[in-house]
Amino acid sequence: MKFTQNSYMFDMVLFELQDIAGKEHVSTRASDKEVYSIDYFWISEMWHDRQAGRDITRPMADFIVHPANAEEVSKVLKVANNYKIPVTTWGGGSGSQGGALPVFGGIILDTKRMDKIYKIDEKSMTVEVGTGIIHQTLEWELEQKGLSTMHDPASARCATVGGFIAHRGTGVLSTKYGKIEDMIVNMEVVLPTGEIINTLPVPKTACGPDLNQIFIGSEGTLGVVTKVTLTIHRLPESRKFRAFIFKDLSTGLRVGQRLISENLQPSVIRLYSENETKEVIKKVLGIEKTGAYLVYGFDGKQEMVDLQMKYAKAIADQEEGEDLGTELGAEWWKNRYKFFFPPYMFHLPQCFGTLDTVATFSDIENVYNAMKEVVETRYPMARFIGHFSHWFPWGCMLYARFIIETPPEDPHEAIYLHNSIWNDALRAAMKAGGVLNEHHGIGLKLSRLTPELYGNSFQIIKNLKKSLDPNSIMNPGKLGFGV
Amino acid sequence: MTKITQNNIDTLKACRYCPMCRQSCPSEFISYRESDAPRGRAILLHSVYLGGKEFDSSAIQAIYNCFLCGACKSWCSGQELGGYDIPELIKFARRDIVSHGLAPQSVQEIRNSLVENDNTRNLDSKLSCTALVVEKTADVLYILGEGVNYTNPEIAEAFIRILGHQQIQYTLLKDEPTSGKELDLLGYRKEAQEKAKNMAGRIKAAGCKTIVVSDPLVYDALKNDYPAWGLKLESEILHVSEYLLSLIRSGKLKLKPTQMKVTLADSEFLGRNNGIYEAPREVVRASAGENFAEMQWHHEYLQSAGEAAFTFDGSAFKRGEELGRKISIKAEDINAEVIVALSATAKNNIAATTGLRVMDIVEFAANLMV
Ligand SMILES: Cc1cc2nc3c(=O)[nH]c(=O)nc-3n(C[C@H](O)[C@H](O)[C@H](O)COP(=O)(O)OP(=O)(O)OC[C@H]3O[C@@H](n4cnc5c(N)ncnc54)[C@H](O)[C@@H]3O)c2cc1C
Ligand code: SF4
Ligand code: SF4
Repeated sequence: MKFTQNSYMFDMVLFELQDIAGKEHVSTRASDKEVYSIDYFWISEMWHDRQAGRDITRPMADFIVHPANAEEVSKVLKVANNYKIPVTTWGGGSGSQGGALPVFGGIILDTKRMDKIYKIDEKSMTVEVGTGIIHQTLEWELEQKGLSTMHDPASARCATVGGFIAHRGTGVLSTKYGKIEDMIVNMEVVLPTGEIINTLPVPKTACGPDLNQIFIGSEGTLGVVTKVTLTIHRLPESRKFRAFIFKDLSTGLRVGQRLISENLQPSVIRLYSENETKEVIKKVLGIEKTGAYLVYGFDGKQEMVDLQMKYAKAIADQEEGEDLGTELGAEWWKNRYKFFFPPYMFHLPQCFGTLDTVATFSDIENVYNAMKEVVETRYPMARFIGHFSHWFPWGCMLYARFIIETPPEDPHEAIYLHNSIWNDALRAAMKAGGVLNEHHGIGLKLSRLTPELYGNSFQIIKNLKKSLDPNSIMNPGKLGFGV
Repeated sequence: MTKITQNNIDTLKACRYCPMCRQSCPSEFISYRESDAPRGRAILLHSVYLGGKEFDSSAIQAIYNCFLCGACKSWCSGQELGGYDIPELIKFARRDIVSHGLAPQSVQEIRNSLVENDNTRNLDSKLSCTALVVEKTADVLYILGEGVNYTNPEIAEAFIRILGHQQIQYTLLKDEPTSGKELDLLGYRKEAQEKAKNMAGRIKAAGCKTIVVSDPLVYDALKNDYPAWGLKLESEILHVSEYLLSLIRSGKLKLKPTQMKVTLADSEFLGRNNGIYEAPREVVRASAGENFAEMQWHHEYLQSAGEAAFTFDGSAFKRGEELGRKISIKAEDINAEVIVALSATAKNNIAATTGLRVMDIVEFAANLMV
């Protein structure tokens, strides 16, 4: 923003925004600026936590706009282009990467008013929704009709459908039903310059590149997704789980790989490293065990589930798993969100981060070991834990975490330590065959490492950005793009 | 600023960065602003109580935009261990805001009206349906609460019909005063306690064995606030639904079966604060039997009709219909024909948004008694 709040130009722009969305849907209140300056990114939280007695503040938006539909979004973006004002799209603000933070001020575009369910098509098994809907709200509506998207993330109650699309989000049932990106049939997108476009009605065409793929995972840097059609499923007749303890992580990984490659089609596989088994599982499920805890689950027609359960158990038995039975598996399912509520969840003053990555079955254990080693040897004050929760035909994701109980009091020092761990751990992961992230996205947190990940192919993404967003107004500072 | 309690600090620290109950917060989905969500309020209060910032007027508004409905508590899976309590935190902050003379104009106006006229709406007490009451000696004292007293006399008439039919001697309080509950919820504890003292005195003077209350806010005040403030009432205190149920159980009150499909809109102050969920259901079932159906959200996961929504964004709250509509949609989803409500506020907010029949629990019973 080139003008300050006490200049009349501020009021001139404010008026244009109010004219578009309605006066009550544009805020310049101090309270909103403050609240929209913190998402689930540790640094934004820490900076707020440490403000007492320090001369520090967080970057804040100048205007917070709540548009009702794509037309209003389009008009806002045109105004933003006219004055070259940064625009940061905000869904639920539950992203952990700082993606929704208005780091260069300007406009926050809160999507939550775009929360209509337009159509549930039980023949095509699709649902068309505004992307500002809180995902759980959508699920509860579908559930009334015995349906579900089967996207079941821990943040369903706080994140929007659009936020998941922007970050390529995933849920606990992804192993069978895919990540959000696998559920998209078509989308309505407002381009940075204000044009409203629709992707093709269906995705599996042979009509050239799939436009959906340009916007999925683009984190609000290439446009605003305003509407989406998602696939839906009937709620399964049966859902069963079984939990085991394996002697070590390697065995657990082998079991997971066999469940996939022997084509049993589990909906859930969760494997916890030895130290996460000890720490988290004990805290939440009250089980005290050594080894690697693994829970798998199947859903569908009762008889098929029973068969799948039988074959899965045979694999676990062959690998000498200690059978904890179906109850502990079901208990895990019942408590699957509980991990994320205080006081169970990590919280300040702790410093923590979710170093999620993904690699092939051949590489994943090396990735885990490389990250663990680098964190544990270079940062003795940090604990490293991890679990493997989303499995693909070729590999699986690692949900690793570092936790420091007492990070430096000085906020600048704390950022230095935080960023150093991220750099070192992710460079180790990339070297071993992993990537920067699997389902939380890049945001501000990992922006600096993105060109490194892509190497010379990052130029393609930069060119795309330049042609779609010539004034670079959309979410500057994120996803490897500068201002 | 006033010294904050440890429990409030725990709530601040847990909730400030936690978005996990936000989908349940009715105020957030009125304005769609993050500052009107539980996390947003905790961030703002954290800045004040632990961050060394002054209260700014927009943060104060966000604190007064909370409906104190308790949905955040119901949806919090950390409750058991953490005991986080945003409504208590908000009430604390409001008292602090008031003590520093920072309450918004709209709040001060409601306070003045309550202090001077014993109602939130600046109405002359002559307009209340207890204006012409002649107090009598009786077993039962019926307390209406502001909504019934000023805007929904039909609810009082229905209850009086039942009492008459049952030949129960009852009395009302002439110019029924405010219980002080609204004042307390707005942060005016001193004034609230004075009003409570007055109300308790009037109740004691009436000398009834049983107090039956229509309004969930008044019920909550008599049951919880008065004892906490050292105001002991000797009489038994019942919500109308509990009283009706006792008449039904004793066989004195019989309801005709209804063929209509009936559902119930729970009350946050009765349910979440006092655990009253079953009594109104049993009353409804006494007539509707199998025709009673639950909406998607009920018991502790109820949808708020805005029982304590007094102001929003610096003016009197005028968007109760948006809350009511959410409830009527759910009633329509299950093809209900009748929605039974438990407060005048709920009745009005829901009725304004649906063609279905909406009635208070006492109207339901009065219409069907034999
Ligand atoms: C307790 C907790 C548990 C979590 N568990 C999971 C989990 O199980 N699985 C998972 O995938 N994630 C999880 N997350 C992370 C987070 O919920 C996801 O990253 C989610 O995708 C963010 O959605 P949001 O609506 O909150 O987006 P925000 O945080 O508001 O925004 C995230 C990014 O998306 C962009 N954006 C938002 N909406 C749009 C839109 N309509 N068009 C274009 N860009 C947009 C923003 O600009 C920003 O860059 C969890 C988070 C929390 C707090
Ligand atoms: S009440 Fe519970 S769920 Fe809600 S913000 Fe606080 S800790 Fe989170
Ligand atoms: S009490 Fe109700 S309105 Fe207030 S923050 Fe909690 S859920 Fe929202």
